[in-house]
Amino acid sequence: MYRIIRQIKKEFKLLWTDKFNLILAIIIPPVVILLFGSMLNAIPPTPQPVPCVVISYDSNTIINPNNYTESRINNYTIPYVNAVNKSELLKLEYFYNASEEIYAMETARMQLISGKIKVIISIPTDFSEFIIWGLPALIDCIPDSSDVQHIQDNLNAVYDSVKIFINENNLTPQFIIQGYEEFAIPEGYSLRFNYNATLLLSFIAFGVSMVLTILVVVQEKPVARLLLTPVKRTEILLSKYFAYMLVLILQIILLIISTMVCGLYLVGSLFDFFLALYIVGFSGLSMGLFISSISKTKTEANQLFFAFMIVILLLSGIFIPIDAMPIYLQVFAYILPLSHGDPMIKSVVTKGKSVFGFDFYVLLGISFLFLIISFIIFKKRRYEV
Amino acid sequence: MVEVNNLNVIFGKVHIVHDVSFTVNEGEVIGLFGISGAGKTTIIRVLTCQIDKKNWNGNVRVTGLSPANKKNHPKILSNIGYVPQLELLNLYFELSPLVNVEVFTSTYGISKKEARRIAKELFEILDIPMDTWKKRVKHMSGGEKKRLSMAIGLIHNPNVLFLDEPTTGVDASKRYDILSYLKKLNQKLKTTMFIITHDLEAALICDKTAILREGKLLEFDTPQKLILSLPSEGLVARFTIENLNEKLIDMINKFEPVRKVLRVGNEVIEILMDDFEQNLPNLIQFLINKGIKIKSMSRDIASFRRFFQIRIQEEEEKEKTLN
Repeated sequence: MYRIIRQIKKEFKLLWTDKFNLILAIIIPPVVILLFGSMLNAIPPTPQPVPCVVISYDSNTIINPNNYTESRINNYTIPYVNAVNKSELLKLEYFYNASEEIYAMETARMQLISGKIKVIISIPTDFSEFIIWGLPALIDCIPDSSDVQHIQDNLNAVYDSVKIFINENNLTPQFIIQGYEEFAIPEGYSLRFNYNATLLLSFIAFGVSMVLTILVVVQEKPVARLLLTPVKRTEILLSKYFAYMLVLILQIILLIISTMVCGLYLVGSLFDFFLALYIVGFSGLSMGLFISSISKTKTEANQLFFAFMIVILLLSGIFIPIDAMPIYLQVFAYILPLSHGDPMIKSVVTKGKSVFGFDFYVLLGISFLFLIISFIIFKKRRYEV
Repeated sequence: MVEVNNLNVIFGKVHIVHDVSFTVNEGEVIGLFGISGAGKTTIIRVLTCQIDKKNWNGNVRVTGLSPANKKNHPKILSNIGYVPQLELLNLYFELSPLVNVEVFTSTYGISKKEARRIAKELFEILDIPMDTWKKRVKHMSGGEKKRLSMAIGLIHNPNVLFLDEPTTGVDASKRYDILSYLKKLNQKLKTTMFIITHDLEAALICDKTAILREGKLLEFDTPQKLILSLPSEGLVARFTIENLNEKLIDMINKFEPVRKVLRVGNEVIEILMDDFEQNLPNLIQFLINKGIKIKSMSRDIASFRRFFQIRIQEEEEKEKTLN
């Protein structure tokens, strides 16, 4: 018994010699729970309003079928827009009158691609006329189907506006909402695979390149000896970057091939798809080399990797949408690579959006920031043979 | 080739090296001896540009260039080679010896073809078997790794080669092999060598030896001259005495011409004294008169090991008296 107690004491003494690891092991789990808890608690009980655009093609004139004369009627577009505004489930971002803005639908589609809105509500030409005649009125609804989990939420929000419209205008509840799914996966392609592949791709591109690089500096023992040759520290680190950037090219090409073989429906160009995955992978590579540069031991690097991954997973909008997080967490969430990587890949794959957007430049910025910090740390790091 | 004048190394409040001065000429093999904490490695770190100028002062020149000026570092590093104590700090174990050579030669701007030519030459001198050249280093034996590490240090034909504990961790039979390889390389390539070591046998191949203690340079000369500086030019009388103990040693010390009695074995002592030839018969008579039973006796010249032992003991005694 005495021997066991002494051995336990020894283990604690050994643990105490590596305080950093001990702190990580003790602090990380409660921090994760606190983060998760504060995120979940901050989510409002009612869902976030769905940003939308209303385009009206409605005409306030009708042609009398008996004598072919034109007469003016009550226009129901404005009362409907008022109902949209009153709905807590919708947030009207733009309203276009198609008779004044002929490219209204194209503009709205661009907004749908960019992700600014989630649904286009189109009011057809005979909307008011049908209501006056007591016929079932029709509303065209174009939800963003790239986000498969929220299609129903978007439609429900539109139904809510219709309900308000009926109540406020004492109309008979005869309405048809005709849905056209924008960015939907065509027949013959696996829906499940396509809707999940983009998230998986961003994880793989980011995670694998990070795992590949977290030990490259910390485990290379002859670095100190190499520094006793005319080689410069920047040259050593730069060569690591270039080597792993080349590996990343191969990795991304193989990823693309394998996803295509599995039946990925790619709306965007292959170049955009490659670049989107590459920049996500590059951010993982920069973070991996950053971890490797600041770590003194392999264990420390592994612990830091674990800590980074947990925070990234929690705050990248996978579990909880970033917009639903408290502001202080949103600020932090938006500087994490996967917060930009997943939406960027999704919009390239499902909407055909160009890769060169806000998310791409943020990822580029994050990657270079970590790259610069890694160089500074590596330059200041003390190496002695 | 290497000049060190009044070198002091200070880290914070800790004064590690005190006023060390020495000069090393081209092609010489220098042994830096001292017990742990003597400052050997610190001096070498200054010479190899590893310590920032803010931590040291003095006039130091390596191949004519001062490490105090950062601009000189690339040139100095091109002119020197370094063989660390542990091979894992010098070799990529997952790569082959030839690829290791290419990694290091590329840092000096040597072409792949030239690197292979130099490697072949060095591998042959160092008896690195040809069948290992393309295998992973991790599959080589300890001795082969050690020799490969030396080859890497010499791969760019440096003017000065620094070797940190080249014989540490090598079994006794191989230690002499390593030392003879070093001497062979020194003679063939005319490379100036600095050997930092605890292994006093290394003095056998040194042209000059430096003895350091607590950051101070106690001696710097050829091993022969150092031995000659001992009483009676280093002549020692070696006695095997029955039931040898401290009391008997104290008794022997009372014989006036005796300068030093060193216990070198269970029953063996070595005695240094003034006017050796004249006093040796008197010493034997003294021992017989005191009833000390002599099993055997011989005369010899003191080794560098004895000199080192005596010099360090003297310093310790001096320090004790001062305290």
